[in-house]
Amino acid sequence: MSVQYTPVIWNRNKIFYDAVLLIAVALYLYVFIRVGPSYEDVSKPIDGAILRMRAFGSCAFLMLTVILCIGPLARLDRRFLPLLYNRRHFGVMTAGIAAVHANYVLTWYFNFSPTDRYVALLSSNTSYGQLLGFPFETLGIVALLILFVLAATSHDFWLSFLGAPIWKALHMSIYVAYACVVLHVALGALQGPADPIFTSVVAASVVLVSGLHFATGRMEARRERGERTAQASLEQQGWVVAGDLDEIDDDCAKVVTLAEDERVAIFKYDGKLSAITNACAHQNGPLGEGKVLWGCITCPWHGYQYNLADGRAPAPFTEKISTYRLQLIGSTILLDPNALPPGTHVDPVEIGDAA
Amino acid sequence: MQTASLLLEIGRYYLMAGGVVAAAFLVIGIDRVEPSARGSYVFRPLLIPGICLIWPLVLYRWLKLERGEEDAR
Repeated sequence: MSVQYTPVIWNRNKIFYDAVLLIAVALYLYVFIRVGPSYEDVSKPIDGAILRMRAFGSCAFLMLTVILCIGPLARLDRRFLPLLYNRRHFGVMTAGIAAVHANYVLTWYFNFSPTDRYVALLSSNTSYGQLLGFPFETLGIVALLILFVLAATSHDFWLSFLGAPIWKALHMSIYVAYACVVLHVALGALQGPADPIFTSVVAASVVLVSGLHFATGRMEARRERGERTAQASLEQQGWVVAGDLDEIDDDCAKVVTLAEDERVAIFKYDGKLSAITNACAHQNGPLGEGKVLWGCITCPWHGYQYNLADGRAPAPFTEKISTYRLQLIGSTILLDPNALPPGTHVDPVEIGDAA
Repeated sequence: MQTASLLLEIGRYYLMAGGVVAAAFLVIGIDRVEPSARGSYVFRPLLIPGICLIWPLVLYRWLKLERGEEDAR
């Protein structure tokens, strides 16, 4: 990245996204805190602090559920992609909501003794050896710490500074946070008086997250199998693997040497791929070292130009060079090593999703 | 009780060490290892919580980039 960093990158879409998110969160909290009590069991009234605690806790849980569904949904159906573009703001907001929940817990359950509230939180229940009565607060603390780390490292700087592999691995810990939250709820809130609605919502959330990930995994495995089959079939027909799409910079080429010492230049330009012989018709100049302008390649030696789609020099010039057929399987480029007659038009391969 | 106090004490010192690393990194290190940060100052306070939380990793990366063990980004 060569752009300068700004605190937060906002554009119209992101402002809209954040606004919808804020309104949805505010609406949920309002309904939970203001409307919810009118439906509660009057024989078991809930204190205001506990109600707010549950409102923010359940809100954070649902937000985390939605966050974890966005990735697989976007992979299953591209129409969900807009949800992915601003997921980091969603995550930061979730960490904030979870922090409010934790603060309500601290200032209610651990606020009325001379013991430091944090010490009380960590020491009031240490029965880690049992399932019923397990200190579920610890699971919440672990999840909250992870959410804090993820929120604090969501700025573009962190991706660049840590490098993609480390940053990605760090942010995959969201799944650990989710597991901790699910256990925190299952061993905590769900151990209280039976609440069929809340129990159903938690169970449905877990099933939804797991199910979507499973479905996406299966779909991608199927797609990969299909790609491998298609590639194997083409290779059987004599096509050669020319390399990966990422190996070629925009408006540049990758030169592939074929068995008969014939060289082919595969160009990536305008979201398309085309292949022509690497040798200029004029004096065998290396066309693959030229740069693409307006769909034409200019030979770096003497400036001869050719359309990449058909290997023909623009009129009034008449030079023609051989073209080659290409196929893109996933992100793998396959090349038909049989040169087509000079000047033969070959439809460029659209890169589309693989880009 | 003692274990809880000890854990909190460790956490406190850990975050204090993170504060020191944050100050050093944001004043000296960031300009040396992150070209995009040169001339950008407003966003830097946003990095303080992250540095405090994962400062050992920040130090590791800072050292790695200072040594040129990775391509300049």
